Amino acid sequence: MKIAVCVKQVPDSEVRLNLPGPVPELDRSAFTMVINPYDQFAVEEAVRIKERLGHGDITAVTVGPAAKVREMLKKDCLAVGCDRAVIVDDAALAGADPLAVAEVLAAVLRRDRYDLVLCGIKAIDDDSSQVGVMLAELLDWPHVGYIGSLDITGDGLTARREIEGGVEVVASPLPCVLTCGKGLNEPRLPSLPNIMKAGMKPVEVIDCAGLGLTPPAPLTAVKEYTPPPPRGACVMITADDDAAAARELARRLHEEAKII
Amino acid sequence: MPNIAVFIEQRAGQIKQVAWQMLSEARHLVDAHGGEVWGVHWHAADCDVSTTAGRYGAHKVVTATAPEFERYDSELWTQALAQFVQQHKPDLLLIGSTAMGKDLAPRLAARLRTACISDAVGLSWEDGLVVKRPVYAGKCFAHVTARSVCPVVGIRPNAFALRETGDTAAAVVFKPVLDASRARASVTAVETAAAGKAALTEAEIVVSGGRGIKGPENYRLIEDLAGALGAAAGASRAIVDAGWVDYSHQVGQTGKTVAPNLYVACGISGAIQHLAGMSSSKCIVAINKDPAAPIFKVADYGIAGDLFAVLPALTEAVREFKR
Ligand SMILES: Cc1cc2nc3c(=O)[nH]c(=O)nc-3n(C[C@H](O)[C@H](O)[C@H](O)COP(=O)(O)OP(=O)(O)OC[C@H]3O[C@@H](n4cnc5c(N)ncnc54)[C@H](O)[C@@H]3O)c2cc1C
Ligand SMILES: Nc1ncnc2c1ncn2[C@@H]1O[C@H](COP(=O)(O)O)[C@@H](O)[C@H]1O
Repeated sequence: MKIAVCVKQVPDSEVRLNLPGPVPELDRSAFTMVINPYDQFAVEEAVRIKERLGHGDITAVTVGPAAKVREMLKKDCLAVGCDRAVIVDDAALAGADPLAVAEVLAAVLRRDRYDLVLCGIKAIDDDSSQVGVMLAELLDWPHVGYIGSLDITGDGLTARREIEGGVEVVASPLPCVLTCGKGLNEPRLPSLPNIMKAGMKPVEVIDCAGLGLTPPAPLTAVKEYTPPPPRGACVMITADDDAAAARELARRLHEEAKII
Repeated sequence: MPNIAVFIEQRAGQIKQVAWQMLSEARHLVDAHGGEVWGVHWHAADCDVSTTAGRYGAHKVVTATAPEFERYDSELWTQALAQFVQQHKPDLLLIGSTAMGKDLAPRLAARLRTACISDAVGLSWEDGLVVKRPVYAGKCFAHVTARSVCPVVGIRPNAFALRETGDTAAAVVFKPVLDASRARASVTAVETAAAGKAALTEAEIVVSGGRGIKGPENYRLIEDLAGALGAAAGASRAIVDAGWVDYSHQVGQTGKTVAPNLYVACGISGAIQHLAGMSSSKCIVAINKDPAAPIFKVADYGIAGDLFAVLPALTEAVREFKR
């Protein structure tokens, strides 16, 4: 089984933006960068599939500047069980939108022919939730999204995915794109010796021309970023005791906020 | 002068509330800028949504009926929507950012090679479309423009208010040509959650519990208040990771994003990753025994108290008001 995992480097979830007002561009230079948390579930699932089957080869693929993503690939992908990595590094992709990224990833995946591709359900910076599904469409493959459990059976798979008010059981042939969320598994941590050994695993760096691809032009652009509207001060409800405070809260929600 | 198409999603015959919200907002937009609002809807059996769609602002509703529409299939739904776009040529297509919409919108956009913008909370028409959407888990908004005909825009449930500004819509029959042999990933079973449990992302009120509840046996306090309010029950990651409740309840950056009218956070400290999932709620109530807990910074009403005393009294008081 040849598996590819698409991983993106994103700002750490603790990052604070503190925008003074509307800005045309976010200054990302001071952000601590990490692997997208959802992509960790995808990496872990790929490694577990390989372990269960007893064979397989896992490639981590990322689109981003090689100088920045190398360490992430080593520590979060190669040291936990991926066999190799591909970095697509091309300055022309700086403003890439999800469809453009999906086109680049599709070019890599077509070239190397995989049986299964795992992505995260979304990247926690742009919060798009698009790349995995678009990738499936561009490859003309099926896609199963938001999977909560997975069972690979020979030439197909069965997955469960959460929908509003229930769960869908989905069966799909291979090859297939899966998007992974929390709840699927508990990602393992890399051990020090494995991080050392990961340095020996092959990492290919390539650009769009190397893939025979004209850098795809983005179809969307961000005009500006604005801070969220400030919230009013919190009304602290005080009363003789907690139960009285609760009753006062209920009254205010009923009379002032008119919610209950 | 945009003509805006709105996908009216149904699952198991139930129409999603976000469809009416999108129609309301689309109508608001075309009333200011010209153009029409078109609903697009399909079903396995004959079903007339034009009266309701009209009330919320649709000028016409394009409807299809086919046995294939019994159960969601991304391939068949994409085929039908792509044909709708090619035949009717709307300037903008809105799809709810629901489980189905998040599966459908990117696939459709990739097939049509058009722009896709998800989880929008604001739409405006300046020189062209500008979409406002939260990024960085709600830490800021991006204002996004599109450079293609008929962008596909996903709309976050509960972002837009319902407005009954319309009239009856004209019903137009649509006959997509479906190629079922292209369908691959297929739904083989649907397990519905226990009746009466509201879906977290669609609920108008959410009551969530955090580590302050001390143990899994006390999640009942959260469920009781949720029950009294007709709300969905949520959770912080801390208690999901501890195994006290199922992951499907988690609110936050790696859980669900909710924007209900009322969010009640009980024994939740208000970590930045939790706020990511709920800070756009319209009214936020925090109950926490630590008056310095960060959750109070985003709350509208707060009680600095012991949830074990507050919650039962609150549940009782809510029941009183509902009586
Ligand atoms: C990459 C990443 C992603 C994450 N994603 C999420 C996410 O999606 N959702 C999420 O929630 N977290 C997420 N987290 C975790 C987050 O950082 C916090 O650890 C978590 O939200 C804390 O949960 P909590 O508020 O329940 O617990 P604590 O922070 O332990 O807070 C418990 C609170 O309960 C109060 N309390 C205690 N006893 C009582 C009482 N008797 N009455 C009233 N109040 C009481 C305390 O004062 C305290 O404020 C993520 C973290 C990372 C690094
Ligand atoms: N630059 C990238 N390189 C590799 N994979 C990516 C990239 N951007 C997005 N992805 C994958 O697509 C998923 C969804 O991203 P998004 O659509 O941007 O929210 C991520 O979890 C990754 O698996």
